[in-house]
Amino acid sequence: MKRSYVGVAVLAFILFLNIIFTQYMVHQFFYENYVNTLIFCGLNIVLFPIALFAYKKMKNVKA
Amino acid sequence: MPSDKNNKIPFNEDNYTHNIERNNERKLDRRGFMKTLAGAAGVFAVSSLPWGAVAAKELMGLGEKEYPHKKITDVSKLAVGDSLEFKFPGDHDDAIIIRLNENKYVAYQNACTHLRCPVFWVKEQNQMVCPCHHGFFDAETGAPTAGPPRRPLPEIQVKVENGAIYAVRVKRYEA
Ligand code: FES
Repeated sequence: MKRSYVGVAVLAFILFLNIIFTQYMVHQFFYENYVNTLIFCGLNIVLFPIALFAYKKMKNVKA
Repeated sequence: MPSDKNNKIPFNEDNYTHNIERNNERKLDRRGFMKTLAGAAGVFAVSSLPWGAVAAKELMGLGEKEYPHKKITDVSKLAVGDSLEFKFPGDHDDAIIIRLNENKYVAYQNACTHLRCPVFWVKEQNQMVCPCHHGFFDAETGAPTAGPPRRPLPEIQVKVENGAIYAVRVKRYEA
């Protein structure tokens, strides 16, 4: 059975973005740029539904 | 309830709780891995919430605490361009007030936001200087302009009443 690894790649990329946004969020918080903190917090949150959607879409995809 | 699940092998078991197949428990398959990644995104999202909440609170000004007003000095004793050190809000919280012009006073907690050395007002250079590692701050805003500090000095609001200057509150005070 061949599988498609696109879903894995997409989710790994989302994880990558998560890490970047979290890093930014924490740094912007300590630099007291609270608006930027909120922006990255929001981005981090919207990534979750995207990840769920990607998972649902890709879990049964075969190459 | 009799289930015909057992007759279909492998049956379609797709839920979020039973992630591990008993016969294959040592094997992380593609789908299980994707599930873990999606879960990780969820953990990131949830753990972002407190940061966002505190940031929003700071933005709405709820982080500003009111302290009992404290007299710093008399207007007549502080010449234009001079500075004076005082303590606010506690007896061990060093602060500095600068009279920038006839009616403009700025006050900050003068513990450097780098490593908490006391920051001085240098009249000739028109800026605040931290001697420890050559940090510089803008006197108008308290924002760092050069050197290691990256965060602004916490500003203290002052008010002038009957020829005396009072410290009112600290904006975004952090200990
Ligand atoms: S403590 Fe002020 S620059 Fe390092």
